[in-house]
Amino acid sequence: MLRYVALRVLIALVLVWLVSTLVFLVLHLVPGDPAELLLSAGNTAPDPEAVAQLRSQMGLDRPVLAQYAAYIADLTHLDFGVSLRDQNPIAPELALRLPRTLELILAAAVIASLIGVPLGTLAAMRDGGWSEKLVSLLASAALSTPVFVVGTTLVLVFAQWLGWISAGGYVPLAEDPLRHLSLLAMPAVTIALPLTAVMIRMTRASVLEVLEKDHVRTARAKGLARGPIIRRHVVRNALVPVITVLGLEMGTLIGGTVLVEYVFNWPGLSGYLVRAVEARDYPEVVGIVLVISFLFVLLNLLIDITYAVLDPRVKLAK
Amino acid sequence: MTRAQRSLYIWLGLAAVLIAFPLLAPVLPLQPTIGMDIPHRFAGPSAANWLGNDEYGRDVLSRIIWGARASLAVAFGSAFCAAVIGTILGLLGGYFRGITEVLAVRSTEIVICLPPLLLAMLVITILGAGVLTLTVALTILFVPNYTRVVYAATLQTGGLDFVKAQEAMGTHPLKILARTVLPNIVPPLLVQFSLTVASGILLESGLSFLGLGVVPPAPSWGLMIRAARAAMDQQPLLLLWPSLALAGTVLLLNVICDRLQDVLSPKTAARGGAAWLRRQIKRTPDAPAPEVPLLKIEDLSVGVALEQGSMGLTKGIAFEVKPGETMALVGESGSGKTLTGLAMTGLLPNALSVTGGHAWFRTEAGVVDLAALTEEEFGPLRGNDISMVFQDAAAALNPVHRIGDQLAEIIQCHRPMPKQQAEAEVVELLRKVGIPDPERRIRAYPFELSGGQRQRAMIAMAVANAPKLLIADEPTTALDPTIQAQILRLFAKLKEDNPGMGVIFVTHNLAVVKEIATHVSVMYAGQVVEQGTVEEVFADPRHPYTKALLASVPESDAERLESIPGTVPQPGAMPEGCRFAPRCGHAAAACAAPQPLLDTGEGRTTRCLRWADLWKDVA
Ligand code: SF4
Repeated sequence: MLRYVALRVLIALVLVWLVSTLVFLVLHLVPGDPAELLLSAGNTAPDPEAVAQLRSQMGLDRPVLAQYAAYIADLTHLDFGVSLRDQNPIAPELALRLPRTLELILAAAVIASLIGVPLGTLAAMRDGGWSEKLVSLLASAALSTPVFVVGTTLVLVFAQWLGWISAGGYVPLAEDPLRHLSLLAMPAVTIALPLTAVMIRMTRASVLEVLEKDHVRTARAKGLARGPIIRRHVVRNALVPVITVLGLEMGTLIGGTVLVEYVFNWPGLSGYLVRAVEARDYPEVVGIVLVISFLFVLLNLLIDITYAVLDPRVKLAK
Repeated sequence: MTRAQRSLYIWLGLAAVLIAFPLLAPVLPLQPTIGMDIPHRFAGPSAANWLGNDEYGRDVLSRIIWGARASLAVAFGSAFCAAVIGTILGLLGGYFRGITEVLAVRSTEIVICLPPLLLAMLVITILGAGVLTLTVALTILFVPNYTRVVYAATLQTGGLDFVKAQEAMGTHPLKILARTVLPNIVPPLLVQFSLTVASGILLESGLSFLGLGVVPPAPSWGLMIRAARAAMDQQPLLLLWPSLALAGTVLLLNVICDRLQDVLSPKTAARGGAAWLRRQIKRTPDAPAPEVPLLKIEDLSVGVALEQGSMGLTKGIAFEVKPGETMALVGESGSGKTLTGLAMTGLLPNALSVTGGHAWFRTEAGVVDLAALTEEEFGPLRGNDISMVFQDAAAALNPVHRIGDQLAEIIQCHRPMPKQQAEAEVVELLRKVGIPDPERRIRAYPFELSGGQRQRAMIAMAVANAPKLLIADEPTTALDPTIQAQILRLFAKLKEDNPGMGVIFVTHNLAVVKEIATHVSVMYAGQVVEQGTVEEVFADPRHPYTKALLASVPESDAERLESIPGTVPQPGAMPEGCRFAPRCGHAAAACAAPQPLLDTGEGRTTRCLRWADLWKDVA
């Protein structure tokens, strides 16, 4: 187990490095002078003085390799540089907002698993029946509706019309736990919806496959009742591939967070990101993109480890 | 045209009709999408403006149709560009391998580590918002998907013979790629294309919603939702129309993608899931239960349900097992011996079911018909009164649970007891079946045991509750000869420990029959052809098939008997008369009629009407 975890951590670190390099390269691979590009708007040529200033500010006048070395060196002690707009260091802002985004993602993942796995199992058990058709239809609808449409509709119905919860915002947990949770509910549910649909589809396919396995017949031959068979010998085994897909879907999930945070005024990373992109504050955008990507890699690492706990064979293979 | 194809074309047709609107937008009599009409701000639907007017009084319908152009242009544009670039990279990587592979395929995979929306935002920061930037950003995002799909397909086709032949003939590699490989990767490309277009529409509208995509006042669905959100307390309908258009379009694309996959790779698996999970109707017995000492099978038939009706697999199986006896069911694969064993425990595969007959079994509560029990009624019997040992222990054990837990489960299921007590019993059981160091072995997972040990664990499970009837389905077939011998000795020992236990031993190996069984039923093509005690049947076979079996090297372990000319008839094409007739050297005119199981005295039966003549021949 220890060797397996060590290997996974190593792979995760390599991924972090690769992603950082890719992000660095994007600016330099786009044809044209980076500083000019960042200042260009429409067809008007940017002011040469401003370009020169930006160039020296971002260190773009140094050789590319030197820039890369400095970039990586800064990253190793989590230094994301300073904002172009107000010269404030970026790292503290990230540290403040990251936990809020993380909270949303975790809440959504928990909601999606709690609903998606049982519904997916039900759909597989009633394969071909009306309940399976209904669940599959709902899943397709959930997958096709963009999160910002769902979020906006929830605000319209629950905040504007029914007035049950406020339209959005944020209160720290320590200040008022109840209000914190009530504000968390809508954005978390919104992010969870498409993820639930994915979980339903995956669980259904996976359960159908496990139901065909010999060991399920053994479980029946033991005289076990349906409940224990489904829980211990079907769902438990079916979860392994579902977890993997959860990892692959993390990217879309985190992307969805950006939109949902915006809809509900949740002060996570994304409001920050949207403002940074609007202002075309490159260092800020890079900082946020990197932190979210690292988060993505980290979550996948956790999923790999969960995988090994669920399926003892994994530790030996690979 | 198959059903799946028809369904795909209907959906594609619907998509074509819908796409025609934005394509024809310039010539349709639509109202202007820009400009202001303050008096009509937030007006509801009317004859002139079917969907109403927005916050500037502009016609919503025409903005939706024009907005579709933006979404579709970005989505189709980026999906197309990405398809071209990704296909080229994937083809090169898959065909030339080596360093090209690293550069073309592996490098694009890093992009996948970045959440899609974020990469797009990074590009927008550099290039500024706008339709062109969006298309560039999405193209970069989608390239890896295509590269991966094409790469995998190219690796497959690259190894095909006709590609190799062209290579050998010296055809230029690029020509080979264009002519033979490319057409083969079209199906996965189409699926990928519909997926990326859907995803492109979602990303475009998402970014426009954030104000980072299409630049106002140009119409776009994302922008319309953004504006409607700000004004939703005044006119909630404004939110509805673009949301419907957006979700509907994506749903349509997803459905097309699903149908496409149905057409390209038809699922062979039968729908309907596991039959045992469905509610079963309790059957009332159609015959009074006879007095039986342990088990009496009467006229048992198993069939498979097909679209054209049901097809018989076994017919009229009958035999009896008394306490302490071991009945061997022997025959070639496909003779129906395994099905008979499974039918008695209600564990037949999905499409198969008992189509007639009875399997009377004595329980504490009286005699029951195993062929008519529901899944619920079977529960208390299985693993307790009747238990099974399966052929492939590696598959029959659950890979994710420890051996000890899987054994404790069967004990606690029928005799509730605390965990510790069950565990102690499991250790004893494992010791009894000869697994060394059982205290530690209970912690092991199935994959950590050897094949022989797994089968021992399986057997321990079967005898855990001292069953009255043990059904063993080819329990030694998957094992090597030394282990086989050990397992057979184990069965003999368990029999000594529990002398009242009846055993049904399913095998194709006559040597095993001789060693383990007291009685034997020889099966051929779904029927029992001869029965008797092992001693008598082996010494004096009364059916030509048994005779041939015994003659064809009794030690042999072959699944099929090569020494008897001809093959076992297929279930759909059974001869009317004696099923062995096509391969029988003694076949006569009378053999063309259905053969009953004849009583030949001394408790023996045979399904050969000429047995007496043949017997005389031998004598
Ligand atoms: S019934 Fe006729 S064909 Fe069949 S086994 Fe006997 S002799 Fe052969």
